[in-house]
Amino acid sequence: MYELFIAIRHLRSRRRQTILSILGIGLAVMILMVSQASMVGFTEELYKKTVDNMPHVTVEPKSDEDYIYLYRGLADDIREIKGVTGASPVLSGPATFAYKDTSRNVLMRGVLVKEHNTVLHTERDIIEGNFRDLEVTRRSVILGDSLSEKLDVKVGDTVDATFPEAKPTTLKVVGIYDSGTPHDKTLAYVPLSTAQHFFDNSNVVNSILVRVEDPDCAQPIADEIGAMGYQASSWMETNPEILQTLMIEGLSNFIILGMIIVIASFSMVSTLFMVVMEKTKEIGMLMAMGVPSRSILTIFLLESGIMGLIGPVVGVLAGILISLYLGDITMDIGEEAYGGVSTFPFVVRTKDAVMIVTFTFLLNLVAGIFPARRATRLDPVEAISSE
Amino acid sequence: MSKENIIQITDLTKVYGDGVKIKALDNVNLTIGRGEFMAIVGPSGSGKSTLLNMIGILDTPTSGTITLDRVDITKASEKERSKMRNQKLGFIFQYHHLLPDFNAVENVMMPLLINGIKPSNARAKAHTMLKEVGLGERVNHRPKQLSGGENQRVAIARALANSPDIVIGDELTGNLDSGTSEKIYELLRKLNREHDQTFILVTHDERMAEKTERIIRLVDGKITEDKST
Ligand SMILES: Nc1ncnc2c1ncn2[C@@H]1O[C@H](COP(=O)(O)OP(=O)(O)OP(=O)(O)O)[C@@H](O)[C@H]1O
Ligand SMILES: [Mg+2]
Repeated sequence: MYELFIAIRHLRSRRRQTILSILGIGLAVMILMVSQASMVGFTEELYKKTVDNMPHVTVEPKSDEDYIYLYRGLADDIREIKGVTGASPVLSGPATFAYKDTSRNVLMRGVLVKEHNTVLHTERDIIEGNFRDLEVTRRSVILGDSLSEKLDVKVGDTVDATFPEAKPTTLKVVGIYDSGTPHDKTLAYVPLSTAQHFFDNSNVVNSILVRVEDPDCAQPIADEIGAMGYQASSWMETNPEILQTLMIEGLSNFIILGMIIVIASFSMVSTLFMVVMEKTKEIGMLMAMGVPSRSILTIFLLESGIMGLIGPVVGVLAGILISLYLGDITMDIGEEAYGGVSTFPFVVRTKDAVMIVTFTFLLNLVAGIFPARRATRLDPVEAISSE
Repeated sequence: MSKENIIQITDLTKVYGDGVKIKALDNVNLTIGRGEFMAIVGPSGSGKSTLLNMIGILDTPTSGTITLDRVDITKASEKERSKMRNQKLGFIFQYHHLLPDFNAVENVMMPLLINGIKPSNARAKAHTMLKEVGLGERVNHRPKQLSGGENQRVAIARALANSPDIVIGDELTGNLDSGTSEKIYELLRKLNREHDQTFILVTHDERMAEKTERIIRLVDGKITEDKST
């Protein structure tokens, strides 16, 4: 393997140029790695803030019906689907809540506590009272913190619920939640039976909320439920802006960073072109010694390959160190960001590191073909007599 | 001469240039036997280097054929040509043309490594070769750290490393003082006697040429004289 012997010696004898080329690629890769870690962290945080707190699939009545009738059986069937971790039948509808002189229009949602807990983390958001009291107390209600402030009610108070064509009722406030989302202003949880009674529609629901193990796989599961005749939509369909946000972020990242890598590779290739020119005489000698052009090609591909491997490896390692360091700090990007993500961690994934190294290595190898081919095409006589 | 022919050149012509054509070699016919020690002389621009590069398979003729050890190199593939350059030919140039990033031993090892010989064996052989050219010491120095004469000895050791049938040198002492040149010539003569290799040396120096067994004189791409001394 004299090709490797020659390639390594070439790199070592031009130590400064070699190190600069490696550093160029390394820096670009480091930036890519850090940016990728922040992107992954941002995505995870956005998922945690949004996707994690929403039903991954929402099942609605068949298109020619107003309600889901045999909802218990349907919920059981849905739970049987692979990848589904919970299904919660709910009956939601508008209502007017009044307390003393104030009244508010709300979205009343009747839930089964146990089932609801398998789909959403409302229980985690309770800041006063107890979510499980919905189960034990008939005609109870849990309000968002904003709504309770507007109505000026506290746990233990009783609100009047009315709506045209609904059966007026009184509801005892057993808890207050703070989810940090607009729901806090409008959404009120009541026991499913209470909602069914209020809307005068026993034994029906108007949707089943579904949680799946991997949110990214929500769409096929929604399609499977859709095949049962119900209208099922994934979170991607109900909240397309989440993926759009990630897409835009990811795409602009990709374009900018891709360009940085290309520039770094370009500078390495131009260095290699210079090396080929500088070494023209030596290449001629090697040819005179009987090195076939295939091996000349190998020598220069090895040179770009070695730089194109060390650079990304060093860059990725530096990027990981920086990400781990920044990971402890977490980024503060203010309140403006979508989905209420204000801080996010840097998340380093092995697969990203491997992918970045592989991609950059291959790019450099391919780019290295041009100077290497140039070397093989030299005319030995001219090369030897060149100065 | 009773010697076996190692090189057979027939009607060799080389024309350079697209527009204005220069006939660097004009219908050259030449037969060289195994183990010959010969010189090619002639005025500048007469085609000496061109002829040598053809024999060395570095350049291709416009017409005519060259046969090295019964192989027609004008018909050989690029792979065969590089293999022959490695195994059958040894080059020595005016300026030593050693690889600057490699020390003396490594330079001599290189043709052996290219030939697929194990590095440890190649190193041992390289040391032997360097001793033979009178350079037992300073073999771990790079060309920059050696004198012109020393480098030329390394270049000779390298040219002989694979025990080639043919050794060609183009003005190989052109860059050395006459004393050193003489020593180098004597060394080549000794090696030629010991190894029965063919030496073809291009030179300007008639005095040096007189030391060989046969002198070919080129003028304007034609052989005008072929004399044994
Ligand atoms: N690559 C080339 N392109 C065009 N013409 C060339 C080329 N190489 C050589 N020639 C021409 O061919 C002729 C023979 O050149 P060559 O180098 O063989 O001469 P030479 O006898 O070696 O001369 P010198 O003693 O100066 O080295 C010269 O006229 C030269 O200009
Ligand atoms: Mg010449």
